[in-house]
Amino acid sequence: MLTKMATSITVVCSLLNLLCLLLLSVAATTDENSTKYDSNSSVLVEQNVTYFAYTDSFTTLPPDSTTAVTHGYSSTEDPGPPSLSADPLPLSGRLPSPVTDVGRLCPCDEQRDLCDVNCCCDRDCGEEVALFTGCSIHTVSGNKQLCSQDAAHYTLGSTVDGLSELHSSVQKEINNGIFCIQSHNYVEGLSFAPPVLPTDSNFDSLLNQFANFIFGSEKISGKLSSVEHQASSGYQYGDVMTTAGENGERGMFWLPAPGVTTDCLDLSPAAFLQEQSNSCSRRLVLDQDCGTLLALNMITYTNIRLLASKKKDAAVVAVEVASVIQQSLDGTQTEVQLDVGENLRAVLLNPDLCANVVLEVGFVVKYNPAGEIMNVMASLVLGFVHADTLPLEQKFHIKYVQEIAEEVAVHHSGNPGYVVGLPLVSGKRTADGIIRSTDPRETLTFLRSAKDQDCLHGPHQRSPILFGVDVLSGCTLRLEDAANCSLVSQVLLGVLRGQNYPQYVANFGSSPPNNPMDWVPISNNSKLEEAQTCSIPLSLHLEIEWTKYGSLLNPQAQIVSIKEVLQTNTSDLALLTGGSSLLTVSSSVTFTPVSAAALPGFRALPTLDAKLPFEFFFPFV
Amino acid sequence: MAFYEVYSHPAVIRYKTSVCTKATVFLVAVLCLTYISPLLVAYRSQGFWIKRSTYEEQPVVRFQYQTLLVAATSTKGDYVAWSTFPHFNNMQGANLRIPTVSVREEDENHDGKLDRLIFRLQLPLKPEEQVYSVQLLLTFSYQLFRMSTVLMQSLAYVQYSSSVPGAQLFISGDLRLQQRTPLPHRGLYTVYNVSVVDGSSPFASAYDLVNIIGAYQDRNLTTVLSCPGPVWVVGRAAGSPFQLDAEIRYPMEIISYRPGFWETVKFAWIQYVSVLLVFLWVFRRIQTFVFQNQVLPTIPVPLGKPHFS
Repeated sequence: MLTKMATSITVVCSLLNLLCLLLLSVAATTDENSTKYDSNSSVLVEQNVTYFAYTDSFTTLPPDSTTAVTHGYSSTEDPGPPSLSADPLPLSGRLPSPVTDVGRLCPCDEQRDLCDVNCCCDRDCGEEVALFTGCSIHTVSGNKQLCSQDAAHYTLGSTVDGLSELHSSVQKEINNGIFCIQSHNYVEGLSFAPPVLPTDSNFDSLLNQFANFIFGSEKISGKLSSVEHQASSGYQYGDVMTTAGENGERGMFWLPAPGVTTDCLDLSPAAFLQEQSNSCSRRLVLDQDCGTLLALNMITYTNIRLLASKKKDAAVVAVEVASVIQQSLDGTQTEVQLDVGENLRAVLLNPDLCANVVLEVGFVVKYNPAGEIMNVMASLVLGFVHADTLPLEQKFHIKYVQEIAEEVAVHHSGNPGYVVGLPLVSGKRTADGIIRSTDPRETLTFLRSAKDQDCLHGPHQRSPILFGVDVLSGCTLRLEDAANCSLVSQVLLGVLRGQNYPQYVANFGSSPPNNPMDWVPISNNSKLEEAQTCSIPLSLHLEIEWTKYGSLLNPQAQIVSIKEVLQTNTSDLALLTGGSSLLTVSSSVTFTPVSAAALPGFRALPTLDAKLPFEFFFPFV
Repeated sequence: MAFYEVYSHPAVIRYKTSVCTKATVFLVAVLCLTYISPLLVAYRSQGFWIKRSTYEEQPVVRFQYQTLLVAATSTKGDYVAWSTFPHFNNMQGANLRIPTVSVREEDENHDGKLDRLIFRLQLPLKPEEQVYSVQLLLTFSYQLFRMSTVLMQSLAYVQYSSSVPGAQLFISGDLRLQQRTPLPHRGLYTVYNVSVVDGSSPFASAYDLVNIIGAYQDRNLTTVLSCPGPVWVVGRAAGSPFQLDAEIRYPMEIISYRPGFWETVKFAWIQYVSVLLVFLWVFRRIQTFVFQNQVLPTIPVPLGKPHFS
């Protein structure tokens, strides 16, 4: 706006301004009654006045055009359904022209033909003025940038009776600023650019131009239900897999997952080739939900028929049940042999116990290079749910294996160097070399803290030791349990080390088992077996030293040595507990980088031997 | 009759010497000291090369009309959720609760840039439900133009929980920019002009707040809603909705950037020359002393009539 005015504005200095002040000091006082108030115009005035210190507000045209706007659609000449035409949307075809007369502006006049209380500029107020206590708007002024502008002032006085009396005046106000506008001949420069009138033809383009973000702009694309026009008819990575119902209706292959909370969301699809391992919780009312809730029943996860590909006539692949394991209340698991098509339904045994509830579902999807699903195997864990163990935790896994992969794939923990966050590769020495388990869970593990904290009792959960992640956990040993020292010592060592304690750890994440030189033995400092007096292990600490190997750009982590530090008690156990009769037994793992750090700087200083800092010529080199 | 100085001018005395003399060695040494040592002084006193500078700009912020709301309705973990993403809403099932949302963005000073967002959300509740905690996520389009052109999508995340059920949560705060590394001084910076929440994804993991916030905080440029005093109003009447009022201002930001080559050189030049002037003055005095007093033997060319052969 200012740039537009620049050509037509006369800027005068303050000296000249003083002169203006002398010349124009005659205040023009208008008589309130002499200006006839046009009530028709007030309708639009109140809509358009937003900021009354500006004169950029609008009023209506003469009354005849106003009626055309308001009564246009109700007139008999108008055809019933509005026909699409290229006419501008206001039927008058033009917008109201702006009002600049401050005497006619009244932003607080909100009721037509009625007096607004304490609105001193409201022309409808006559006798009611006597009830006013103050003016909600005292001044309506024009553009403050002008050196002199009109301003309407409204004040309340009081009569001899104590009633209010309105004094209004329109005066010239003088702006003493140095850069005030003395005169301007470009009226549009002080108002908004006239808007483009929306018509049926340009409405969409105007909407695109001004309404960038609107509610409801998120639409569900029909991608999930309709087959996409793609070169390949097979599934691609991340695609949603389609299921076929009994009557041929299409659906999606759901895999329950936690959403914004840990609650299971059943309507989350599984994505092709994206391995997932979800665990989510379900809040149940046992006696109501046990038999009826579909998510607890095995058939929900086994009676699924997947379409092999995205083609319309694709073969249907039914989910096969690979194994069903029943878990008892204390956690022991037994495999159940079921006939094909046989199902175990969730049953309410008593009001607090529900049997055959799905606790864990694992899908293994076999696919071929064309993106077609060959078969789907489901393995389930069913168990009991007691009312005390609610909300129920359910686990869902999905894995994808290639069709040609006959043997189970061996997972590397990095190639060649270890990757942070992947489990250590460990094995046992035999005459032929090292043997390692293909199960990634059977590796070097550490004891996880359990809820009852007792080292000797209860099922112990173990987690694999991940490369680069230091851990600490522990359990407690009650003194009265430690009476049979040699037995407790052996049991405790077994608890701390876990079953299948390996002897060797691979140098690299992909070390081949047939090369024993690539494996590091776990060195041991303990002389537990040979000790004369029986001692109880108090802590098991694994210290793993690793170094970076190879180029600076792509360093590979290599395990150099691994040491097991077993601390046993040297004094009486009762002294160690400090009288509490509880002994803390801890298990910890530390990864220590032993590589020399790379140093920034010049490799060699050929000529500049003046000990300049390396960033001396910063922006140039 | 008194005399006065009517005029004065400096006279040039030339000292001559051959190349292999002490005077030449002295001259070279003085030149080196005069011009190199200011560089060392300016560099050693820190801040020679400016590597980070700041400027002020009010960003162009638009609310993207994307919202995600999770409200805990009992102390046992029941919740209701709603978002503007259809896939998310479909997944919620019985937990979906559609609120009434009203939004207004204001340009208070009429400079063409929006200054604040007024967001009001009324969440209807069943008689047995009470609101104990609220998680609200709003997304914004955020643009900067002065130095480098930054176009990004950002979010404001509000989380409030109370042990007492509430009737209203009032939030009034600023949407502040947070940057880890300075911006470039020019060019287009649109690395983060991607959706913060992938509304087209049908997977539940796309709407997991842990994933969303985790990926978002990984960015160099983020916005954060700085709201020091959220107001939790307790005492909701039965049947009335839970009300969430948010007033989010888009204030002027101080943005740090990495100055360009010429700006770096300009400031280095200013520092170098100001130190150089001192050295020039000092070494000119030393040189004048040395040659005037013939400390090093040179041949002065006498003033007046230089005879060149």
